[in-house]
Amino acid sequence: MGFGDYPKEYNPSVHGPYDPARFYGKPDTPFGQVKISELGSWFARRNKSPQALAGVFSRAWWRWQHKYVQPKKVGIAPFFQLLAGSMTFFYVINYGKMKHHRNYKYH
Amino acid sequence: MLSRVALRSAATRQSTALVARGSASASGTRDEVNFPRPVRGEPGKVRLGFVPEEWFQFFHSKTGVTGPYTFGVGLATYLCSKEIYVMEHEYYTGLSLLLMVAFAAKKLGPNIAAWLDKEVDAIEKDWNQSRTDTIKGLEDAVEAEKTAQWRAQGQELLIQAKKENVLLQLEAAYRERLMQTYSEVKRRLDYQLEKSNLERRLAQRQMVDWIVTNVTKAITPDQEKATLDRCIADLSALAARK
Repeated sequence: MGFGDYPKEYNPSVHGPYDPARFYGKPDTPFGQVKISELGSWFARRNKSPQALAGVFSRAWWRWQHKYVQPKKVGIAPFFQLLAGSMTFFYVINYGKMKHHRNYKYH
Repeated sequence: MLSRVALRSAATRQSTALVARGSASASGTRDEVNFPRPVRGEPGKVRLGFVPEEWFQFFHSKTGVTGPYTFGVGLATYLCSKEIYVMEHEYYTGLSLLLMVAFAAKKLGPNIAAWLDKEVDAIEKDWNQSRTDTIKGLEDAVEAEKTAQWRAQGQELLIQAKKENVLLQLEAAYRERLMQTYSEVKRRLDYQLEKSNLERRLAQRQMVDWIVTNVTKAITPDQEKATLDRCIADLSALAARK
């Protein structure tokens, strides 16, 4: 599976048009329904290759796109979400410098 | 020469690529139940401008309506209190910017949204225009064809009526000629009848005249006298009998 290829499990004659937000592999229990005792085995079953990780992020991105950006009549919500997300992200990566601006010594 | 070679090799490469793509979709039947065709849905609901509705629903069953807000305020208080979130100079800039953005979104949002929705509809209509036009044109053509067929049927009726008309005219002409023949024949027969009647009458009159003339010529005075006498005798006999 190189760059720009479809996932190996995707078969156009079965799955129809490709949905980038969809996982075409073997379905497992959704993460929200996994019991805490089963978490270990659930993670052990996961494919932890870089490609699979990239796939996770890609699907998440497309799910967000399909839900908030791509509909016909969207509001300002996706822009605010991007704003909030980027603010958080940049705050986190700059946290080491922000730390020096603390006003109090003891909390 | 070189370019031709390049073209040919490019063509072969393309054909192999097509073959490879075709073979990928060789087996399996379409699973419409588990893999329905994706549809373009409505945008997801959010609160406070950007927080997904699902986040609040997640809290709702456990903490009630105010739970997520309480959690948010508590988290913010914690972050600020422990100075994990540091309120340096940029924080106040951000606060004023947030106020301005929120104000602008509240005030200008609805108008811009209405305008953008109008534009979206216009673009969609524009993209669909040729399709709808084609469909409408074809429907009109079908309609026109039906009208033409209806008219053609009317023509058939008309032709039939004309044929009947011609037949009626032929019938009328035939009858007129029959009548003419009849009257002509009658006239001739009447003429013949009249002629023969006339001839017979003339011949009769001639014959009567001739006989009378001859008879009167044949009567002698003696005979006349004898007859007269006889008549007188008869009359007297008759008178005597009364």
